[in-house]
Amino acid sequence: MLSVKNLHASVDGKEILRGIDLEVRAGEVHAIMGPNGSGKSTLASVLAGNEKFTVTEGSATFQGQDLLAMSIEDRARAGVFLGFQYPVEIPGVTMANFMKLAVSERRKFLGEEPLSAAGFLKLMREKSAVVELDSKLTSRAVNEGFSGGEKKKNEIFQMAMLDPQLAILDETDSGLDIDALRIVATGVTKLHTPQNATVVITHYQRLLDYIVPDVVHVLYKGRIIHTGDKSLALKLEKEGYDWLINDYKE
Amino acid sequence: MADYEKELLEHIGEQEYKYGFTSDIDTELIRKGLDEEVVRLISAKKGEPAWMTERRVAAFRHWLTLAPPTWAHLDIPPIDFQEIIYYAAPKPQKRVESMDEVDPELKRTFDKLGIPLEEQMALAGVAVDAVMDSVSVKTTFKETLAAQGIIFCSISEALRDYPELVRKYLGSVVPYTDNFYAALNAAVFSDGSFCYIPKGVRCPMELSTYFRINAAGTGQFERTLIVADEGAYVSYLEGCTAPRRDENQLHAAVVEIVVERDAEVKYSTVQNWYPGDKEGRGGVYNFVTKRGICRENARLSWTQVETGSAITWKYPSCVLAGDNAVGEFYSVAMTNHFQQADTGTKMIHIGRNTRSRIVSKGISAGCSQNAYRGLVRVGKGADGARNYSQCDSLLIGDKCGAHTFPVVDCRNRSAVVEHEATTSKISDDQLFYCRQRGLSAEDAVGLIVNGYAREVLAKLPMEFAVEAQKLLALSLEGSIG
Amino acid sequence: MAALTDTIRRFAAVEGDSLRVAAAASQPFVAVDPQQLRVEVAAGASAQLVVVHEKPLASSLSLLLERDARLQVTEIFLAGVSAETEAVQASGSNCCITAVLLAGADASYRIDLDGAHAENSLGGLFLVDDNEHCVLKLRTNHRVADCSSDSSVKGIAGGSAVGEFRGLVYVAPDAQRTDARQQSRNILLSDTARIVAEPQLEIYADDVRCSHGATVGQIDAEAILYMRQRGLSLAQARRLQIEGFAGDIVRRCGIGELGEALMSAVARKMGNM
Repeated sequence: MLSVKNLHASVDGKEILRGIDLEVRAGEVHAIMGPNGSGKSTLASVLAGNEKFTVTEGSATFQGQDLLAMSIEDRARAGVFLGFQYPVEIPGVTMANFMKLAVSERRKFLGEEPLSAAGFLKLMREKSAVVELDSKLTSRAVNEGFSGGEKKKNEIFQMAMLDPQLAILDETDSGLDIDALRIVATGVTKLHTPQNATVVITHYQRLLDYIVPDVVHVLYKGRIIHTGDKSLALKLEKEGYDWLINDYKE
Repeated sequence: MADYEKELLEHIGEQEYKYGFTSDIDTELIRKGLDEEVVRLISAKKGEPAWMTERRVAAFRHWLTLAPPTWAHLDIPPIDFQEIIYYAAPKPQKRVESMDEVDPELKRTFDKLGIPLEEQMALAGVAVDAVMDSVSVKTTFKETLAAQGIIFCSISEALRDYPELVRKYLGSVVPYTDNFYAALNAAVFSDGSFCYIPKGVRCPMELSTYFRINAAGTGQFERTLIVADEGAYVSYLEGCTAPRRDENQLHAAVVEIVVERDAEVKYSTVQNWYPGDKEGRGGVYNFVTKRGICRENARLSWTQVETGSAITWKYPSCVLAGDNAVGEFYSVAMTNHFQQADTGTKMIHIGRNTRSRIVSKGISAGCSQNAYRGLVRVGKGADGARNYSQCDSLLIGDKCGAHTFPVVDCRNRSAVVEHEATTSKISDDQLFYCRQRGLSAEDAVGLIVNGYAREVLAKLPMEFAVEAQKLLALSLEGSIG
Repeated sequence: MAALTDTIRRFAAVEGDSLRVAAAASQPFVAVDPQQLRVEVAAGASAQLVVVHEKPLASSLSLLLERDARLQVTEIFLAGVSAETEAVQASGSNCCITAVLLAGADASYRIDLDGAHAENSLGGLFLVDDNEHCVLKLRTNHRVADCSSDSSVKGIAGGSAVGEFRGLVYVAPDAQRTDARQQSRNILLSDTARIVAEPQLEIYADDVRCSHGATVGQIDAEAILYMRQRGLSLAQARRLQIEGFAGDIVRRCGIGELGEALMSAVARKMGNM
């Protein structure tokens, strides 16, 4: 589904990603872990097409298409979803309105008929239940005045609405209390099918108690330095990163 | 014969004699340029009573003593007032038989705005009898209004049919001495609308619907007078979201509103005159004076969405003369390319416990300049007066300007006046977030701008708010790369 | 005013019509009724300057801050002077101005932020009574990117006095990442006094954080009631309120004893209003 080869990317002339290789197949859950500043969020941003970063080398294909040649919105329409670490507030723009546009663009891309107003509202109700999102929030402005937990639930709600093939969740667990974490993680698990894939970026093991990964990668200084199964996450939790990264310290 | 008719006839006779003109009503144009003779001629052609003619002449004489205002943050090329033709009888619009003959560019805009087909036809000048049911719709409107005693007609008709009402109120809120362009308008106004809502009557419909179907043929020097008698209510909508192309470069309209005791008037404007091309060539100069006076417990609410015109100079204002009167001003002013706007409001608190609220949302894109200018004045007797102003500016691109020029002048110690202003831009993060959800960059900007302007758009009549939203997005086309 | 006069007498008097500070000055400089004065603070140097206007003369003050210079200026208006102050700031410099108008003066400030990361803060207070008319003008020019300015002007007018604040923040094209704030807070004490506030913004760059605000109001009646219920007289309660309102401006001059002397001068004038 996603095939990343030797991906290099930089911001303001500073190289952050220094040769990433990553293969994600349908039905898989990948976890990307690593200490702060290792490039995890940058990888997510680059895959989503954030123009702040410049790709200097390498390739990324998504369902056989050259992902890097696509605009931000085309990647989204094709089914790449990024759950933001810090979802931005958009004053005055209601969630309902925002999602209506987003869902209709996605459906248009897939060649599906636009949803009726009633159909859309039904979908909103259904999907907000998945993450126990207070339905009142959907009539509020996008992320405006949302608590940290509500913002994260809102990200997963949008993921449910857009039904992406590939969801990249950037630190979705940060700033969540244990209840919110459980709700968010359960939401993600419910949405997982053999047809889609999930990449979870985190630096805590605790999220992985709920979202069980098939593959765990450790990202350090812009490279994936180690890949293992879910036991790797537990080991990292116990022993930290030192045993892995010592070899790479400059 | 009614007095005014006698007056009118005497007046025409006098003119024919005095100036040796034959009053050939069929003549469509008069010579260009402006002098007292031209002013009298306009009045004569319109068959106005003598007092009206004298008012025009007095206005003209006063105008001669004035110079165009230069205090606005605008770069206005010199206007040769002698190069303008001040009177042209409304020429029948070029009729087209079906929508197929309408300029495809215009049609594309209509479609983008989502204007209903029958209105598109009316606006594009498709022969009226080809417009589905519109004649009967109009007749129904007229009957409904007349049944309530509501007068809604052109100023010319009103001068003919209700001269005393017009005489009482015309110029009572915006006297010809007010400013250069108001004086010019008072001297040469071509036509406009008159609306009178009798005591205690709630106008049963948004006057917008009626007005839009009748939208053709507004003049260069438009004059509007709205009177809501005691306890009356009316919601009035001027303008149209459809682009209005006009060959006349200078538009100097005057709108006067009288809100008597316990009455309420909502006045909404969507201004989409031709803004000039992307290089800043051409476009309408829109120099408007709008003001209303509120008596005791009266309420006047101005809502404006300004997207058109090359240069906009307008300050819809409220004189809160009676105790407990309320004035409101909600504005979205968007400028793109080389447009310039200097717009805002004046809230003059005279009565006790008068309240006013100002919400202004400026949006500048391209190489445009956009200024909010406002005055909140609290007089000595305005005990307990309250004002709250919020003036926000949104900048799109680094070649434009956004300016805020508020004045607070307070002479009453029990008054509370608050003004706040912020400036922001559309952040890259907001754009990225929207695009990550599948919105195109243009849609994302449109959405964010509409969210920013939402508080004001919500004040518009429902069906119009939807069109205004699309209009904002449309006016931004080409503003982001 | 005795305390004020005593306080400033202990500072170093400025001789002539120019002063250059080349290092970190150990004690404040003072100039009384300067008609023309130019103060230069050399790169990296720092100084404190107190200017007192006791006579109704015209005055022109020019402040020059070189790279990373720091200057704290306190200008006190005790007479109806017409004074112009111009501050030109190079990159990294920090200029903190406090203007206290206790008379019907006309004080005009022009700040030019000419180098990146220059910072200016201005605190102004005017207190006018009887038939006094004072005007505080402020023009802050953000001429280059990455500068910040923060102005807060408070006004109190009683009697038949008129107090005016006319402010403008100008942000030049390309002065990106400007951070500018301007606040005007005013209180009217009588039915015949008048406040005029014009906090203006003129902005030609898009990546900026600019805000301004203006309010006119009165003494909080509830707070007065509360204080009287605790046994304070009406006059005491009013004075406390006004001191609370004006105190942060007066005390920000950074010279403790001067701040206290000024505060009591303000309180004395208040007491007569």
